[in-house]
Amino acid sequence: MGSNEQRSVLDKYLGRLNGPQTIGRGVPFWTCFLAVVVVLALCPEFLSRYEIINFSNFLISGFLALSLCLLWGYCGVLSLGQAAFFGVGGYTYGIVALNLLNAHGNTDVAFVAGIVVPTLLAGILGLIMFYARLAGVYIAILMLVVSLMFELFLLQTADPDYTIGAAYIGGFNGLRPASPDDPLLPSLIFGAGESVLEFDGRSVEFYYLTLGLLGAVYLGLRWLVNSSYGYLLVGVREDSHRTETFGYDIRLVQLSVFCIAAAIAGLAGVLYTAWGTFIHPNQFGLKANILPVIWVAVGGRKDLTAALIGALVLEWVGIRLAAVGEISLLIMGAILVVAMLVTPEGVVTTLARVVEQGRAFARARWGRGGTGPRSERQDS
Amino acid sequence: METVSIIFSFIYQYADNIGFLLLAAVGLIIIFGMMGVINMAHGELMMIGAYITAFAYHAGVPAPIAIIFAGIGSGLAGIVLERLVIRFFYRQLLSSLVVTWGISLVLTEGFLLIFGPSILNVPTPFGSFGVGELTFGIYRLVLFGVALLLIGLIWALFSYTRFGARARATMENPEMAEAFGINTSRMYALTFGLGSALGGIAGGMFALTATISPFFGVNYTLFAFITVVVGGGANVITGVTTSAAALAGAQTIVNNAWSVYVGYVSMMLAAFLILLILPRGISEYLERRKIRVAKKNG
Repeated sequence: MGSNEQRSVLDKYLGRLNGPQTIGRGVPFWTCFLAVVVVLALCPEFLSRYEIINFSNFLISGFLALSLCLLWGYCGVLSLGQAAFFGVGGYTYGIVALNLLNAHGNTDVAFVAGIVVPTLLAGILGLIMFYARLAGVYIAILMLVVSLMFELFLLQTADPDYTIGAAYIGGFNGLRPASPDDPLLPSLIFGAGESVLEFDGRSVEFYYLTLGLLGAVYLGLRWLVNSSYGYLLVGVREDSHRTETFGYDIRLVQLSVFCIAAAIAGLAGVLYTAWGTFIHPNQFGLKANILPVIWVAVGGRKDLTAALIGALVLEWVGIRLAAVGEISLLIMGAILVVAMLVTPEGVVTTLARVVEQGRAFARARWGRGGTGPRSERQDS
Repeated sequence: METVSIIFSFIYQYADNIGFLLLAAVGLIIIFGMMGVINMAHGELMMIGAYITAFAYHAGVPAPIAIIFAGIGSGLAGIVLERLVIRFFYRQLLSSLVVTWGISLVLTEGFLLIFGPSILNVPTPFGSFGVGELTFGIYRLVLFGVALLLIGLIWALFSYTRFGARARATMENPEMAEAFGINTSRMYALTFGLGSALGGIAGGMFALTATISPFFGVNYTLFAFITVVVGGGANVITGVTTSAAALAGAQTIVNNAWSVYVGYVSMMLAAFLILLILPRGISEYLERRKIRVAKKNG
């Protein structure tokens, strides 16, 4: 059969990126994927600068959605406080960058620290929570409490005593330099010695950097969830007792995925701080925590692509609504409730399933159409 | 004289903090503690109660009756929520967490849109009394008393009435209860409504001391959850009272030694630590101990 040949070609080039843990395995999907990437890459050609700056921010939301999707959708560990790692990443990046910019001339260390510190924080929290075998609901709520505690703490650091080297924590004023002599909070500057590559948050280059990183993280996670580790994650989600009976240490699995998710959220925080050269305690707040949950739940928590589409579309909708008035969050909440009632698996996931069934029907009826064979069988 | 007033102030604060936790938790004791239903919008049901109280009070209704109105209003709102949304998520804990969080967002933002961010105030009744050089508000002690009274009533309701027996049967084994002719789905709606009504009453009580805004509910939800979770499910009433006593103890001591923020953090830390040592809550431990002692003696 012709479609099988196509499939083997896909398998040869995409390997582990294609697997039953992710929706979209056939030629049509990857064609669409390429088309979307091309369109996104061409956006700067026909969109205004202001819109490109907004788009960079949407893409940053995508990281957070992927992070929560991996954690909640694949491993079944819900965190209502995923913004904690986003915020810690952002603040770490800012503090380290402010301190090292004059000495190094780049933000390499800050970039790495902004990813490593949230990962370590997740390691400590996860070690405590998973090894105490706390129930999932408790973990979800405790993470929210952790994030709100960060917010509460940072809000009361407006006192000038709260400085770390050249960084003034700033409370509700947001992170800023400690004295007029210190450098301003920088955008991303990668470099070694003299040669530096700067990505101004308002530039097209920053947009391409974010797009590239998001693509890399997306493909990396696709590979991860279709590897044996991904099957293990789903095993823990579906039946943790049985997975444990098979000899896996589920606490270790949960801890590791918690750390990976935190690293991605931290990366998002770094990009966010670099994007606006600003970070505020709000990033730990209620709104910052509930939005990723809405994106992932509405898009479809059990699939990376669905969660990513959910984040990008809803962020776009949110910006449009914000122009109308103070109704953005109200509509987001309503979308969440309605979507969970009507499509418990998420809107994008459900749509994908309908398309899949339609193609299966077309194949059965007319004996052709559809180039993604076997997929409906693998779904069941 | 000085030391007496300091000691009294300490006891007063402790009672105040316990009262706060118990009153915040009083509706969730039934909804989450007993029925095992998650409701992140509990604080918003309390907020509805607070708004009803404030509007009724400003319309000339005496405060106690306004608070009863709040209970009725929140109870009805709770039943509507349960029927419309929550009942579809009984078997999926994490999803119910998320969907009720969405409801809480809708309620908060909806109230913000309708009533604006402006803050409503209801004067605190009863005035104050002095011990030594310090003065204390009487109403805070009333809150503490009402919290204990409500918890006593819940206990009596669930221990001695037909309704309580049916509710306990429903949460123990829904299929079996159904087989005995109990309408479990109505039981869930009623207990949810009762818990919401208690939340509304608590919200109304708090309305007389706290500022009322659409963002009224968030903190109560979290504190209530933590109190009930630390209390554990083996014996909800003793669990919640001991956990409130323990958490408020940590908070009061640290509050006085450092600052209010550190007080909150220490309370969260205490909750965290208790859960690490006793992942199923305090009451589980107490019940096990009771059984052990009984075995030794028998």
